[in-house]
Amino acid sequence: MSTQRSLSPSLAALLGAAAALGQAHAQSAAESDSHVGYRFNEYGEDSFHGDAIGSRERYEVYSQQFQLDTRVGSGALDVNATHEVMSGSSPWYVIPGPDNRPIQVLSGATIKEHRNELRAAYTLAPGTSSSTTFSASYSNERDYRATAVGAEHSFPLSNSLTLGAGGSFSHDIIEPTDAELYQRVLHEEKNTASVFGSLAWVLDKASVLQAGVQLNHENGYLSDPYKLVSVGSDILPDHRPGERTEAALLVRYRHAFDRPAAALHLDYRYAQDSWGVVAHTFDAAWYQRFGAGWQLVPGVRYYTQQAARFYAPFYAGGEHDFQSSDFRLGTFGAFSASLNLRKRIARWEISAGIERYHASADYAAFRGSDSAVPGVLSYTRGFIGVDYNFN
Amino acid sequence: MNSGQRANVDTHRLRFNAMGCPCEITLEHTDELCAQRAALAARAEVERLDAKYSHYRDDNLLAEIIVAAASADGASVDDETADLLDFAAALHAQSGGRFDITAGALTKLWDLQAGRVPADAEVAAALARTGWQRVRWNRPQLHFSTPGMRLDLGGVVKEYAADRAAQRCRDQGVAHGVVDLGGDLAVVGKHADGTAWRAGIKAARAHDPHETPGAFASIELSHGGLATSGDYERAMIVDGRRYSHIIDPRSGQPLESFASVSVLGESCLVAGAASTIGMLLGPREGYAWLQQLGLPFLCVGADGAISGTLAAADRT
Repeated sequence: MSTQRSLSPSLAALLGAAAALGQAHAQSAAESDSHVGYRFNEYGEDSFHGDAIGSRERYEVYSQQFQLDTRVGSGALDVNATHEVMSGSSPWYVIPGPDNRPIQVLSGATIKEHRNELRAAYTLAPGTSSSTTFSASYSNERDYRATAVGAEHSFPLSNSLTLGAGGSFSHDIIEPTDAELYQRVLHEEKNTASVFGSLAWVLDKASVLQAGVQLNHENGYLSDPYKLVSVGSDILPDHRPGERTEAALLVRYRHAFDRPAAALHLDYRYAQDSWGVVAHTFDAAWYQRFGAGWQLVPGVRYYTQQAARFYAPFYAGGEHDFQSSDFRLGTFGAFSASLNLRKRIARWEISAGIERYHASADYAAFRGSDSAVPGVLSYTRGFIGVDYNFN
Repeated sequence: MNSGQRANVDTHRLRFNAMGCPCEITLEHTDELCAQRAALAARAEVERLDAKYSHYRDDNLLAEIIVAAASADGASVDDETADLLDFAAALHAQSGGRFDITAGALTKLWDLQAGRVPADAEVAAALARTGWQRVRWNRPQLHFSTPGMRLDLGGVVKEYAADRAAQRCRDQGVAHGVVDLGGDLAVVGKHADGTAWRAGIKAARAHDPHETPGAFASIELSHGGLATSGDYERAMIVDGRRYSHIIDPRSGQPLESFASVSVLGESCLVAGAASTIGMLLGPREGYAWLQQLGLPFLCVGADGAISGTLAAADRT
């Protein structure tokens, strides 16, 4: 059936005439399949248990997500809108207690803060191994605005190899609340540029291995305007370097099983940044399908990181280049377990899930840093969702 | 690298009737919902084209075009219809005038349900209303110079619909499957395990008009399309003489040809055009034309004799 050899004039005429018809009449096929979804998420941190001063009202986030996937022209448009309401107290700074034991100071409970985000992505040649996606997003809350754009492209190298590459750029504006009252910065900006490349390798009929690398570079104001640091007898603002470069390596493995009808997902991520933070993430999930449209997905995750070079719960008096007692820059480890359930009923799909995340300095795979992380927290997250597919 | 395990692939089938024939979409995908969505989208596409171009209806776009084309101003047609008319015009030229979408009046006259041979005067009257040369086609303007002309796009729409349906499946992320519209096939992609699809070619009636046709040959296809033109499904016997439903639009008489012609092509549309023209050109001229065309083909003669470049394909 090869058309590579020289064509007969009649076949050339037929192919030429057919070529015009081969061009998809996209507009006439506009009545294509679409999908809308709604999800309600609840995130609640555990109450603070250690030595602490201040409000112990736990931090909570309620979020609602609306999603629309539809065809526009020959491509696929994906629009996502999120509204979040956040409230509660969070770690503020740490002071040394008797015997230098760290005592966490918690901020007063915030009033309800709102965040709105709109994301849109347009994919050309969706569902093929040669697709291109353009994306843009905007997020707005009282003290933070973020605008991001991105693009990625995948193309097949052979029947079993697909190369993917992309990049994104984000520009964020930080305007802390009560800045004058607490002598916080008034207006700061931050830029993040990312590039990534990945190679997906179809090992056999049932398994795929994907490996990727990602480079992120941030510059601008990278400190947390609300966090303070105890330095000697002073309480000073959180102060981090103005630049950070992170390199990450990602490996993903997928294996599908016939009996039982299931799929195993194994992911590993290694990341290292110029502040000295080194992190490992291991993820495993089992996608089990049952009859009548049921799907159950149990998953586990282990995360561990080594502290940034300049992290300390509190500092001795004197000059320091950088200072931060944000537990997110400390040495700790975390285990999480999740269970998601989906049920398809004709064109509807109902889903629900729960995740329990528990973090502690004791779970860290890294040793050699005896810096305490008193603020480290655990949380529970749950969601319910409904999806509808239509033409 | 092969783990020996079969891929976690489900076969999803959707059967329905459209374009006057049984249709079946077979898709292989790990996600049942995805396959289901794709099959429904593909069916919707077939039904859209059926509704738009069925010549059995008088309330669709084709009927409107026919009425408007007969008016003094002519009809202005949409892009998709214009592309189909361009394609039909090319087939008319390629077949020396035998492929003719204006042969509707003749086909109707030789309507097989009638069970009688039309009189010469009737044939002459129908011939006067037949012929692409009587049509003025200046895209997008279509104008009939003779009143009472009809258009029948049945010779291309089914194959076009099969290709479009297969494309819809691919657009939905389905890479493995086949669309079968009454024996005209368009491949979405090979089986999930990488093997080709096998299609059965229905046997002709050969000498015995009462013989039940069954699959007698199977053809492998990994991409593109397979189309079969034949008159084994519809033929009429009057006074012991068999009249083919293939009408030569130039003479107005049924023409003796193959029992069936099957062609493999880069698309079902091209395969269908080739098999139809091969059929219309008759056993001698048609065979020679198919040979020089260069696409793999299989002919079944009125006597049951099998020929063509696919004749060596293994039989079932």
